[in-house]
Amino acid sequence: MTPTLLYHCPCLSNSPVPPPPHLASSSYSFHPLHTLFFCEECDAVRCNRCVSVEVSTYYCPNCLFEVPSASVRAEKNRCARNCFMCPNCRNTLSVVPSDPPDSSDGRVAIPISTVGEPPFFLYCNHCRWDSAEVGITFEKPTGLAAQLQKFEDSAPESLEFDRLKEHFEPFLRASSLSSSTSNAPAAVPSSAAHSHHLHSNSITAAASAALARDIPGVSKYNPLSRSTSTRGGIGNKDRSTNKDEMSVYKSRVDISTASRLGSGGGDADVEYMRHLETIGEVASLEQRWTNSWATPLQTGDLKPLRIPLHSKRSKRCPACTHILIKPEQKAQSVRYKIKLVAANYLPAITVALPHAQQIQSEAAKRTLGKSTITVTDDDRGTAAGGMHAGKTYPFHLALTNPLYDPIQVRLSVQRMHVATTSSAEGGAPEKARRPPFAVSLPTSSFPIAAFAEAWEYEDDEDMFGVDDDDELGLGRAGREKDGRGRVKTVGVLEKRANVTVVGGEVVIGKEARGGVKFNMLVSYTYRSDDPAPSEGNEGSPSKAAAKPPEIKTFAFYTVVDLGAIIPKEEPRSDMDF
Amino acid sequence: MDPPIYYSKAEFIETDTGNKVSRRATIAGPQNIILGGKTIISSGAIIRGDLRRTGPGHAVVISLGRYCLVGEGCVMRPPYKTYRGNFNYYPMKIGDHVHIGASSVVEAATIGNHVEIGKNCVIGKFTIIKDCAKIADNTIIPPNTVVPALSLFAGSPGRFIEDLPESTQEIVEAHTKQYYTRFQPLGR
Repeated sequence: MTPTLLYHCPCLSNSPVPPPPHLASSSYSFHPLHTLFFCEECDAVRCNRCVSVEVSTYYCPNCLFEVPSASVRAEKNRCARNCFMCPNCRNTLSVVPSDPPDSSDGRVAIPISTVGEPPFFLYCNHCRWDSAEVGITFEKPTGLAAQLQKFEDSAPESLEFDRLKEHFEPFLRASSLSSSTSNAPAAVPSSAAHSHHLHSNSITAAASAALARDIPGVSKYNPLSRSTSTRGGIGNKDRSTNKDEMSVYKSRVDISTASRLGSGGGDADVEYMRHLETIGEVASLEQRWTNSWATPLQTGDLKPLRIPLHSKRSKRCPACTHILIKPEQKAQSVRYKIKLVAANYLPAITVALPHAQQIQSEAAKRTLGKSTITVTDDDRGTAAGGMHAGKTYPFHLALTNPLYDPIQVRLSVQRMHVATTSSAEGGAPEKARRPPFAVSLPTSSFPIAAFAEAWEYEDDEDMFGVDDDDELGLGRAGREKDGRGRVKTVGVLEKRANVTVVGGEVVIGKEARGGVKFNMLVSYTYRSDDPAPSEGNEGSPSKAAAKPPEIKTFAFYTVVDLGAIIPKEEPRSDMDF
Repeated sequence: MDPPIYYSKAEFIETDTGNKVSRRATIAGPQNIILGGKTIISSGAIIRGDLRRTGPGHAVVISLGRYCLVGEGCVMRPPYKTYRGNFNYYPMKIGDHVHIGASSVVEAATIGNHVEIGKNCVIGKFTIIKDCAKIADNTIIPPNTVVPALSLFAGSPGRFIEDLPESTQEIVEAHTKQYYTRFQPLGR
């Protein structure tokens, strides 16, 4: 297991301090740096859990056609061209022609070719399902969805759905009107009176806020007067009046008679199951649930599915609604018009255990020439990365500065976990039995040079020179400073380009078990004379206010996971928490 | 920070543009193969440049971009089909910063830039993989599949699993460049 470092996004709680890392739930608050965003306006980290998301483009993942949003709804969110999914294995189907008249059963051998004999049918390249099995064939190989349209429209479930839509239409119109008027965050908890339960903690509050979030094009689910008592305390008086005006919906087909009409259920199914010969005859849950609500029970009845559309999304800061991510319109472009990712603002930190790396690189030299296929990464990792209880290990943190200005960084271990950085005790309070480990980090702040494009090129050619004797050289450099007496492990070990490597040390208690995992506060100061260009290379120049040069500080939490402790007596046993 | 990956100097040929090709790889029809530079062909890989389109003249069968990696024991074979009664091979084009894991078989028509393909994958004939996509280890992509940009595919048959983060391009680029610099000769 390689040591990891994740970044904290404080969106799940009200306090900026992250939860203690030994709690399993804390993992929800920590994310890899590259999945995080940064809002310049709020000066805060945002994650995928807290940003608000809007669809900017719909496209079919198979034909890559960009579907205009107007037709998305009409086509029921699925591709209306030639793209179908195999009902058996979800693979995409291809259109194949029938064989020339002379041979009748060689159709399997023919792959893709759109010229050939009608009738055409859909064929799965993976499981060999074909649409002739369910009686679907086509006269011409194009516009298949249109050819199937009449079947789809006359299906009882889609008729039912249309009816439902019709029925709720006036209600939807009214509620979208009222939600647009009452969308201002009503702080007055008038709705709290209706609330059937109070949110006792912030996590459920955040979760329900996320659930209650507005989805464009979909009106808020709030048909009853009980509301979710949080931020979006919506005026629900008009809702309840609307509700009263609704007439009772009557379905097209009475559910009690539905089974007789061939849509399954009841005795017919029991009878069918009784005569089963292989389990494969029954459609699995996975095969059934992406269908519409009337799903055939028998595998043989499954119909090809139009492929559901995908979307490109833009993302906004939840607090100030500034755009953080705005993709280019073109579906397959991977560029962004706006892309405020945290990696452009926060220093990237990687952790390494030098003792593990040394073993690894030696192992690499030993196994040289042998195939690495046989040596799995896990093998190497567990053999090399383990830390024994009762010992002291150094670790390295490499910090990379993405800013065009030098920064000063200060690291500190979160206090609630270790009382003082020097004392050997003070683990998690409720687990007094085991003060598992103590971490020392450099206490003074250290600089990291500015990022310059030129480093990029230098890296290409020369980084290897540095990298090559990194492991040994690095350790040596540290060691030589202090002579041979006390090995220097804590402090700044190396500076190159916009990377500074600092060393820390972890003292593991004799009785320690579990993993070495601690929260670390990283605060850095930077000069922000002209915020937009200096802060990020892709930053929006919206914040153009001419400010005098000033020193700003930004702090964020990370969790460092150095891996599992190998307890005494039972070497190499798996970690237990 | 990561340690170098060593290879024996005798095994690899390094070209002017920085391509590193193992002598233990099987390169058939090298005149039909283009390597963009700084691309690594690991030992045991098989690249079938000899399966060219019928007809006169020079034909590029397989082209790889910069900073690619063809893992150990990979098979790269151009896709073929019978179209209007004629059997033919079709060229395979692979973009920059593409890593293909060990023991994978690739018969794709097009692979975009910044694509990661895991170990033990089978990429079926005429598959189109768009930019910044990722194929997880042990995935079977059936023929004619389209893998959209920034998506993760896994399973058998390979299916869409999730969207990849917006910064995938930067991550993959950094990773492939770093891999190339870590890939260092040892001895002799």
